[in-house]
Amino acid sequence: MSIHAQNITKTFGNFKALDDISLTVPDGKLVALLGPSGSGKTTLLRIIAGLEHADVGQILMDGEDTTHAPVKERQVGFVFQHYALFRHMNVFDNVAFGLRVKKRGDRPLKEEIADRVHELLNLVQLDVQAKRMPHQLSGGQRQRVALARALAVQPRVLLLDEPFGALDAKVRKELRRWLRKLHEEIHVTSVFVTHDVDEALEVADEVVVMNHARIEQVGSPAELYEHPENPFVYNFLGGVNLLPVDGNRVHVRPHDLGLFDEPRGLQDLPADITGIHVVGPVVRVELRLKSDGSPLEAELPSRDFNREEWVAGKRVYVHPRKSINYGDADPLVEAGNL
Amino acid sequence: MPGTVSRLSSTPFQNRAGLRDPLWLRLLLITLALLFVTFVLGLPLILVFRYAFREGWGVWVASFTDYDALSAIRLTLLTTTVSVPLNVIFGLSAAWAITKFQFRGKNLLITLIDLPFAVSPVIAGLIFVLLFGNRGYLGPWLQEYGIRIIFNTPGIILATIFVTFPFVARELIPLMQTQGNEEEYAALSLGAGGFQTFFRVTLPNIKWALFYGVILCNARAMGEFGAVSVVSGHIRGRTNTMPLHIEVLYNDYQTTASFAMASLLAFLAVVTLILKSLVEWHSSRNQIENTES
Amino acid sequence: MSKRVLPGFGLSLGFTLLYTSLMVLIPLGALVLFSSRMGWEEFLDKAVRDPRVVASYKLAFSTSAVAATVNGLFGFITAWVLVRYRFPGKRLVDALVDLPFALPTAVSGIALTTLYAHTGWVGSWLDPLGIKVAYTPVGITLALTMIGLPFVVRTVQPALEDLEVELEEAASSLGATRFQTFGKVIFPAIFPAVLTGFTLSFARAIGEFGSIYFIAGNLPYKTEIPPLMIIIKLEQYDYLGAAAIGVVMLVASFAALLVINLLQAWSRRNNA
Repeated sequence: MSIHAQNITKTFGNFKALDDISLTVPDGKLVALLGPSGSGKTTLLRIIAGLEHADVGQILMDGEDTTHAPVKERQVGFVFQHYALFRHMNVFDNVAFGLRVKKRGDRPLKEEIADRVHELLNLVQLDVQAKRMPHQLSGGQRQRVALARALAVQPRVLLLDEPFGALDAKVRKELRRWLRKLHEEIHVTSVFVTHDVDEALEVADEVVVMNHARIEQVGSPAELYEHPENPFVYNFLGGVNLLPVDGNRVHVRPHDLGLFDEPRGLQDLPADITGIHVVGPVVRVELRLKSDGSPLEAELPSRDFNREEWVAGKRVYVHPRKSINYGDADPLVEAGNL
Repeated sequence: MPGTVSRLSSTPFQNRAGLRDPLWLRLLLITLALLFVTFVLGLPLILVFRYAFREGWGVWVASFTDYDALSAIRLTLLTTTVSVPLNVIFGLSAAWAITKFQFRGKNLLITLIDLPFAVSPVIAGLIFVLLFGNRGYLGPWLQEYGIRIIFNTPGIILATIFVTFPFVARELIPLMQTQGNEEEYAALSLGAGGFQTFFRVTLPNIKWALFYGVILCNARAMGEFGAVSVVSGHIRGRTNTMPLHIEVLYNDYQTTASFAMASLLAFLAVVTLILKSLVEWHSSRNQIENTES
Repeated sequence: MSKRVLPGFGLSLGFTLLYTSLMVLIPLGALVLFSSRMGWEEFLDKAVRDPRVVASYKLAFSTSAVAATVNGLFGFITAWVLVRYRFPGKRLVDALVDLPFALPTAVSGIALTTLYAHTGWVGSWLDPLGIKVAYTPVGITLALTMIGLPFVVRTVQPALEDLEVELEEAASSLGATRFQTFGKVIFPAIFPAVLTGFTLSFARAIGEFGSIYFIAGNLPYKTEIPPLMIIIKLEQYDYLGAAAIGVVMLVASFAALLVINLLQAWSRRNNA
C-alpha cells in the first residue's frame, strides 16, 4: 500500500513542526525518516498514523483520503519508541490484543487467534517467552513483542518511531539487521523514524532527510551519500572539511583527504598536523590549514599512516580526492547547529 | 498527601556508615514518636474497643438489636451504597477527562474538585439546607410537591456525596498522569474502541489506586458526622445515621451502647488501614519488579 | 494528548462538569448568593461583629494554630523516624498514622472525651494535678492534634524519602557533623514540605466539627467553635446568620487552599 502525504503543515503553539511537507512512500518499500531532533519526523509519522492531526494537508493511503479517519480505521501498525506494551498482560495477550478487540463479525476464533499469535512469536523468535510479563523482558525482547503485536492485525503499513532508540549499541545493530530481513520476508510498506545516520543508510530502501520542519532530500542511501544536494545533508551524513579551491569553499570528506609529504600539484594545500588519534583500524589526523588557519580532519587506514615522521607540528600537504561545491554558503549556518 | 499510598522505604540510611545518627538521638526520637503516636492515636482507638466490650459480648450484640440502632445502620448502608458508586463513576470520568486531554481551565477544574476537601463539613450541610430547606431557595417549591429533602434521607445522601466527592478522583489523577497515554494510543492503533481501551488497558493499570480510593470513600461516607448532622434533623429511627446515633446514645449516657456502635465503625477503620497497607505492599512490589528488568 | 485522538472527551468532560456543577458549584454558589440577601452592614454584624461568633473564631484560630504547631514538631519527628530508622512496630505506626483519616470524627470525639474526662484513663491522672482537659480549649487542641497528624506526616515523609543520600554523604565528607548536616542540608530542603503539612493541618483544624463537638463542652464564649455557631443559628432559624458565618469560613478555606497551592508550587520549583 502506498502512502502519500500532501502539503502537510502542523504547528504546536508557536512551534512549527511541519512546513508544507509532501512525500510519497511507494508500496512495499522500507523508508526512513532521518533527521535531528525537532526536525518533524516523529510528528509526520504520527500524522500518518492518525495519532496527530495536521492543520493543513491530506494523507492518502492507496489513493483513499484518510486525513480525517480515526486511528482505528487506518489499519496502521504502530511501534512506539518506548514499546507501550500493556504492562499487566503477558506477551501472548499483548500480541493477541488486536485480534481480540475486533468486532463480533470479524473476530477470529480462539484457536485461530492462538495459531496466529504463535506464528508471529516464532517469527520474532519469542515463542518461549509467551507467558512472560513485559517487565521480565529485555529491551530488545520488548521491542520484538511490540513489532509482533503490530503485525498481528495485518496492517497495511508499519510505522516505527525510533524503534531502536532505547537499546544498547550492540542490540541496536542486531535488531536493525533483523528488521531488514523481516521486511524482506513480509514486504509490508514500512516507515521508520530515526536520528541515527548509520541505521537509516543500512536498513532503508529510501531515506527522507528532514530538518526544521522541511524535507531536505529524498533518495536511496547510495544516492544520498554520493550526491547530497545541499550542505545540510552533506553535513548530516558524515564528516565535513571545507577547503578553499578556486576561490570557492568546497566540501571534502575526511577519508577523501589525502596527506603527502610533498605537494604534487597546485591542488595540494599546505597544512600543519595538530593532533593524531589512533582509533582502531583508522587514524584521525587533525590539521590546521596554513592559508587561513581553519581546522581540518583527515581519516586514513592505519597501514597508510607514516607513523614515525608524521607527528604534531609536521608540515604536510592535503589533497582533496573528491569534493562538492555548493557555492559560497557556509554549511555550518545551513545546518543550524553548532 | 494524607490518604495517598506512601512508600515505606527500606532505610538505606542505616547502611551508610557516614550517616548514622548517634544512638542516643535515635532512641530519643523513636521514643518520642512512639509515645506521641500511642498517646494521640493508639489510646483513643483502644479505648473504643475496651468500652464497647466492658459489659461483655452479650451486651455488645444486644445494643444492635433495638429498632433505632438497626435503622441507623440501615440508613448508613443506604447512604453509602448510593454515594460511593456515584463518586466512583465521577472519579473515573474526571480522571479520564483530565489526564487524557488538554483543555483550558483544567487547573481550575482540579481545584474545584479539591474544594470539598478543604471545606468544613458543617458548611457541606449548610449549603444543602440553603438550597432545599424550608426557608431555602427551593423550599417552597418542594413543599408544594410534598418532597422532603432536608431532614430526610435524600438530604443526607447529598451531603455525603459532597463530602466524599474528591476521594476517588484524587487517587486516580496523579497515577494516571504518571502512567501516561502511550498504552491507550497503542490500543487504538490496534483497532480498539474507546470503551474497549478503557476497560482492557486503562482500568487494569489503575485498579489498586481505584480500590484504595473506594475504600477511603466508603470509610468517610459511613463515618461522616458534621455534614449529616446539619441536614438530618436527628429523628431517632428515621434520620439518624450510625455516627448520629452514637451521638444520641452518648448524650443519653448510654455509654456502652454508644461505644458498641462506635466499635463497628472503628473496626471498619482498622480494616481500611489494613487494606491500605496491603495495597501499598502490593504496589511497591510491582515497582520493584518493574525496575528490576 | 489531543482532543480528537483518544475518544470520550465530550462524554467524560461533560459529565464531570455537570456533576461538579450540581454537587459543588451550585450549592456553594447558593451559600454566597443567599448571604447577599443581607446588606453589607447586616452581613458584617452577623459575621464579624457578634461577640459570641468572634469568640468562636478566636478559639478556632488559636487552637488550630497550636495543634498544627504540635503536629509540625511531633509529626516531623514521626516522619523522620519512619523514613530513617528501623524499630519494632514500625509498620504498625506507619499504618496507624492514617487512622484519623479513616476513623469517623464522632468516634474519635467520644473516645477523646471519655479518655480525658475526670473519670477517664488519662483524665483521672490529670485531674488531681489540677489539669483539666475535657471541656476546655486544651481538650479541643488535643482533638485537633489527633485529626491533623496524618497531614504533617504524609507530607513530610515523601519529602524525606526523596532526599538524595549523596547530599548528606557530601556534607559528611566535607567535615560536617550530623547536626550541622541536618541544619544546613536536610532541613532547608524539606522545609517547604513541613510548612505545607503545617498549613494542611491548620486548614483541616479550623473547619473541624465532629471530634471537637464532644470534648468542647460548648460553653458560650468559652469553648464554642464556628461550626457549632452555624448549627445554633440554624436551630434558631437564623438562616442569614448561619450563612454569614458560613461565608467567613468558606473564605478562610479558600485562603488556606490558595496558600497550600502556592507552597506546593514553591516547593516544586525548589526541587526542580
